[in-house]
Amino acid sequence: MTRLPVFFCKLLTLGVLAVALPAWAADSPLDLIRSTTERARAALQDPALQGPDRGQARVDKVREILLPQFDSQELAKRTLGSYWSDRTDAQKKEFTQLFVQLLEKTYSGTLDRYNADVKFFYDQERIEDDFAEVDTRIFDPVQNRTFAVNYHLHKANGKWLIYDIVAENVSLVRNYRNQFNRILSKSSYEDLVQTIQAKLKQLSTPSPS
Amino acid sequence: MSTKLVVAIFIGVLSVGIASQSALAQPETLRHEDEAEHAPPSDPWEPFNQKMFWFNLRLDEYVLRPVATGYSKVVPEPARQSVGRFLKNLGVVERFANNLLQGKFPGAGQEIGRFAINTTLGGVGLFDVADMWFGLKESPEDFGQTLAVYGVASGPYLMLPFYGPSTVRDTVGMAVDGAMNPMNYFLSTVELIAVRSGLTITNAVNSRSLNLQLFEDVDRYAVDLYGAVQDGYLQRREKAIEE
Repeated sequence: MTRLPVFFCKLLTLGVLAVALPAWAADSPLDLIRSTTERARAALQDPALQGPDRGQARVDKVREILLPQFDSQELAKRTLGSYWSDRTDAQKKEFTQLFVQLLEKTYSGTLDRYNADVKFFYDQERIEDDFAEVDTRIFDPVQNRTFAVNYHLHKANGKWLIYDIVAENVSLVRNYRNQFNRILSKSSYEDLVQTIQAKLKQLSTPSPS
Repeated sequence: MSTKLVVAIFIGVLSVGIASQSALAQPETLRHEDEAEHAPPSDPWEPFNQKMFWFNLRLDEYVLRPVATGYSKVVPEPARQSVGRFLKNLGVVERFANNLLQGKFPGAGQEIGRFAINTTLGGVGLFDVADMWFGLKESPEDFGQTLAVYGVASGPYLMLPFYGPSTVRDTVGMAVDGAMNPMNYFLSTVELIAVRSGLTITNAVNSRSLNLQLFEDVDRYAVDLYGAVQDGYLQRREKAIEE
């Protein structure tokens, strides 16, 4: 009889593990990148979202999938670098929204080039406390070329969020920071905001190609 | 002149390098927190660089891009990739020497093996069968990277007319790599200039034709194009040196 509680404890532990393990595994940074990419890919291939007239619906659907996986404020903060701390809370909010719009415009321009034969490889993840990196490769059969894409994530409120993407060894955050810092060091924050707004306006007009 | 110059630079570099090897090892962290305090690139010659950048953009807009676009319509992509591989195969001596100088002996061996296989089985370098059949990856090292490995600082950013973004160190590296090319010993000066410019122009048009979309994207999405190109170049070089 005395052994019974021990048996139950073991069973309970096993049960907890059985429930917890898949949940933990699903939360790994690599799995997050994989599931997000696969969901976005499914949306792009969704028959209901095909055709040129469904372009906006496709962009909206992909945004809905991708945006929650990013830490927008962290992205914006890192692109401003040392200039971030000088901003008021309202400016921080304004800048984060502006930067997200810029990213959206950038990715939506490339979505139309997506092709069902593009292959994704999820190579490895490295985790160090609340920070992680995920290495992936994208093979584009049209160009017969493979591109290395590396994601930087951190854990915020228990969830892994992307705060940088490094494509072919060029960090998105660092590249924007160099652009923004050049404007900020010569001019002002207000000027940077105006320059980004002008860029957004320009990107809203259809591509000349 | 080239042999003496190369030897002199090697000796100078080796002596600097031995003293500063230890400075290279820096701890890797996934936090990337240092990035925010990352000093902006040294660009004291920005007014000159801006002018050269503007010149290169016009050159691209009126000459290189139209030529590369036309060429890409006539020559299919696989053929253009073969042209790129052929031109790359010719740079074996520089890559071999720079692998040796950086102490990358397997890399040096790979380069020799790749040259031997791709020149023969790969049809004068048109196909990279060394990688496809034998798994021999390229080990692309240049003298700019060798200088960096020996602790030579990059120096200011430098926008070169025709060649594009560079640094003082990488420009010196490019000159030394050029001096190492065995063509220097076979050809007269006039022939050398003709062959060199021919290869450089072919390479420029060919690589540009393979990157039509990339250039357009950078141009379209950059908020500050000069800064985007500058940082893109510096980040890629940083990574190439790290490897």
